[in-house]
Amino acid sequence: MKFFVLVLFSAIIWTSSAQETISGKVVDTSGNPIVGANVYLEGTYDGSSTDETGNFSFQTSETGTQTLVISMMAYEPHYEIGEVSYLKNLDIKLIEAVNQLSGVTLSAGTFEAGDNSKVSVLKPLDIVTTAGAAGDFVAALQTLPGTTTVNEDGRLFVRGGSAEETQVFIDGLRVFQPFNATTNNVPTRGRFSPFLFKGITFSTGGYSAEYGQALSSVLLLNTTDVPDEEKTDISVMSVGGGVGHTEIWDNTSLSVNASYINLSPYEALIPSTQGMEWNDPYESISGESVFRVKGDRSMFKFYTGFNHAALDIAQEDINFEDLIRFQLKNRNLYFNTSYKHFFENNWSIFSGVSMANDVNEIAIMEDAVDSEEINSHIKIAAKKGFSNRFELNTGVELFSTKYDETYQDVDGFTFDGGYDDVLVAGFLEGDIFFNQKFAVKLGVRAEDSNVLDQFSISPRLSLAYKSSEKGQFSLAYGDFYQKPLAESIKFDQSLDLEKTSHYILNYQYLDNGKTFRAEAYYKDYDDLVKFDTQFPEFNSNYSNLGKGYAAGIDVFWRDNKSIDNLDYWASYSYLNTERDYRDFAEAATPNFAPEHNFSLVTKYWVNELRSQVGLSYSFGSGRPYDNPNTQEFMAEKTKTYNNLSLNWAYLIDQQKILYFSVSNVLSFNNVSNYQYANVPDSTGFYNRRAITPPADSFFFVGFFWTISTNKKSNQLDNL
Amino acid sequence: MKKLIVTLFIAVSITASAQDRYTEGMSKAMQLWGEQKITEASNLFERIAMAEPDNWLPYYYAALVNTTASFGEKDVTKLTQQLEKAKEFSDVAKNISPENPELLVLEALINTAWIAYDGETYGMTLSGKNAQLYNEALQLAPNNPRVIFSKAEWDMGSARFFGKDITPYCQDVERAVELFATAESKEEPFYPDWGADRAKQVLAQCKS
Repeated sequence: MKFFVLVLFSAIIWTSSAQETISGKVVDTSGNPIVGANVYLEGTYDGSSTDETGNFSFQTSETGTQTLVISMMAYEPHYEIGEVSYLKNLDIKLIEAVNQLSGVTLSAGTFEAGDNSKVSVLKPLDIVTTAGAAGDFVAALQTLPGTTTVNEDGRLFVRGGSAEETQVFIDGLRVFQPFNATTNNVPTRGRFSPFLFKGITFSTGGYSAEYGQALSSVLLLNTTDVPDEEKTDISVMSVGGGVGHTEIWDNTSLSVNASYINLSPYEALIPSTQGMEWNDPYESISGESVFRVKGDRSMFKFYTGFNHAALDIAQEDINFEDLIRFQLKNRNLYFNTSYKHFFENNWSIFSGVSMANDVNEIAIMEDAVDSEEINSHIKIAAKKGFSNRFELNTGVELFSTKYDETYQDVDGFTFDGGYDDVLVAGFLEGDIFFNQKFAVKLGVRAEDSNVLDQFSISPRLSLAYKSSEKGQFSLAYGDFYQKPLAESIKFDQSLDLEKTSHYILNYQYLDNGKTFRAEAYYKDYDDLVKFDTQFPEFNSNYSNLGKGYAAGIDVFWRDNKSIDNLDYWASYSYLNTERDYRDFAEAATPNFAPEHNFSLVTKYWVNELRSQVGLSYSFGSGRPYDNPNTQEFMAEKTKTYNNLSLNWAYLIDQQKILYFSVSNVLSFNNVSNYQYANVPDSTGFYNRRAITPPADSFFFVGFFWTISTNKKSNQLDNL
Repeated sequence: MKKLIVTLFIAVSITASAQDRYTEGMSKAMQLWGEQKITEASNLFERIAMAEPDNWLPYYYAALVNTTASFGEKDVTKLTQQLEKAKEFSDVAKNISPENPELLVLEALINTAWIAYDGETYGMTLSGKNAQLYNEALQLAPNNPRVIFSKAEWDMGSARFFGKDITPYCQDVERAVELFATAESKEEPFYPDWGADRAKQVLAQCKS
């Protein structure tokens, strides 16, 4: 018996004596020790963590050839394969993994609003709680640098470009009419409710080869993949109401919403009186739905939007005694469907189709213009990540447009205009991350338009260099082409594509809750459309002889950490631009391009009141206009633009919010332009009329109620 | 003497089996965690996880260690690393063991760590998600004390914020405390068993 025990003990001793020690030191590429790395033999429990000096040592009873794994967050894993007895006093260098968390990002010209995105300067919530934006995310984007304050329009004017130079995409597919139909001097709003989107990327220049047909800017909206919870939303507002519902079945979900807007009650209470009167104030019925199916390796989305709007307005005109009546009926239907599949080996394919049907019935005094536009965008793209250092993105797309218009004047004269076009495009782009500090995006885009019979090649280049832990420099260059607007192309299809080149230098500094960005740019415009009448007409002479430039500096600062409960951002844009286009007599700064723009947005959370109080101020320097009483062209400027807006969101309880906002609290009388008489009066003087907003201030009251099973969510992110 | 030998023999034979290697490894990792050696504990759980790819528990603990260590962490780089690691492990665990209420509670805990770090940024986006996670967990395991307690504590937080009555949630906590006391130990060794102490603390606050 004693013998047996002895054998047993010696067996144990023998086992331990057969153990090998594995040891070494782990450092980074600069030779600094890495603390806390996990070092182990693959498939076994044998291993250890590195100590304060980067050293490790452990014993193993494994024998033969083994794989030693060294893993550490933010570094590429390292493998040493060898005979156990040789795995001693190893010197191991870990290479920093290229990841979006700490690495360089290709961000020149881009503002992102996403949840965890590093380059995001605004969160989706910020977009909808900005004072003065009244829930319109496009209005919130107008507080970013690079945009100019063109308050009477409502669309995005980027870096000396007109509003038509910005294109909007949902899930990578074109939106053809992103804004509600409206008339002169009645600002429009984006058609989409912001809470359907998980990420918003706003590029003010130098964007990827994946996007084209936009001279100045692209706005990319990505819909949510999987909604968080089932709920019903009800809103009652001073301008209308809405209902929405989200239903989830495992990996399938459906969100629908419908809203009705009618300005009549508001106008009856607080009439807009400046330069116009409503016959029938703006009224619209709209609805959206998103259906999503998420598979293990796939994502299917189907978005539908419908909008029917009507307005009947009479506006002052210097050339007429009476008000000019303008009636508009617009019907817009939009589909956007996409399917994405992720294969093994980091391949993914994307295919999608978007289609829009837009019908306008317009009556201006006794004249009638009916138009219908059918647009579609088909896109197939593939992406392959060869490693986390090299990614390739390529695709082909097809845009088709069918535009028909009938004009009928008071005497029965009619003119039919329109055009059909198919534009085919292809792109190829590579993202190369040389290391944690230096990255390049290199792309090329080719487009061929059949109506214009024109082929274009646009190179795109973006470089980023991370100069310090928190700062980085970026450079971007690209050529951008866009088809002339329907207003000209419907009369003359021999026109060429319009062109810009962007040159951008950007510096960005991010420090825990603080963001600083400064961007300098130069834009060269060429082949802009010109015509020899005041407005494009069927008998005008058209050419591509226009050209221009825009240069400027954009600065952005945001801080949500320094002062408790206060979040603010400030933007300043300097813009120097001149262009000779449309009916311009010579190169001049257009009316939509004020030289200085500044905006300050603040949000203060008052815990005791469970309220968020917001205050926004925006400033624009005088806007150029042409005074025919002087010799010079576009040489005069309006007075400066000022607007101070307030909002207050009060959380009554988890599910109910009361929201109040007022724009232009101090009632600044802003003038956007002057309209001069077509003919001088008896003294040879051209009379004029100031173009001002229909009302100085706008009030908004809303009550938002969310009914969800978990009693937790509210519509704060809906405001 | 005979007894000793038999005991020894059994012990040795268990040592030889993989099962005991697992028990030993997990116990060692738990001990390290208890000693606040976070990196070592996390690394050991990770090593066990890599060697036992069909067992959700080591992944669960690797994630839990990193999550609990993130509460109160002020260094954003470290916090992000820990929580991303936790999320990664919890996702793998979820693949191994789908519809597991413990893993839903874990995921909600990771979200709570983000919210605790920066409520302004993450509160709005993640609180809806958490509510959904807790509801799902409760459906799967209506009598799991950890699920009941975590959900109640979460609901209590927002009820306090809105100045609402927290009594219904205190009742849930009380029920959780009772269930903690009567819960039979699971057959699966190292099945999560945390929460009882914290639940008692919260219940004491309810009553004070």
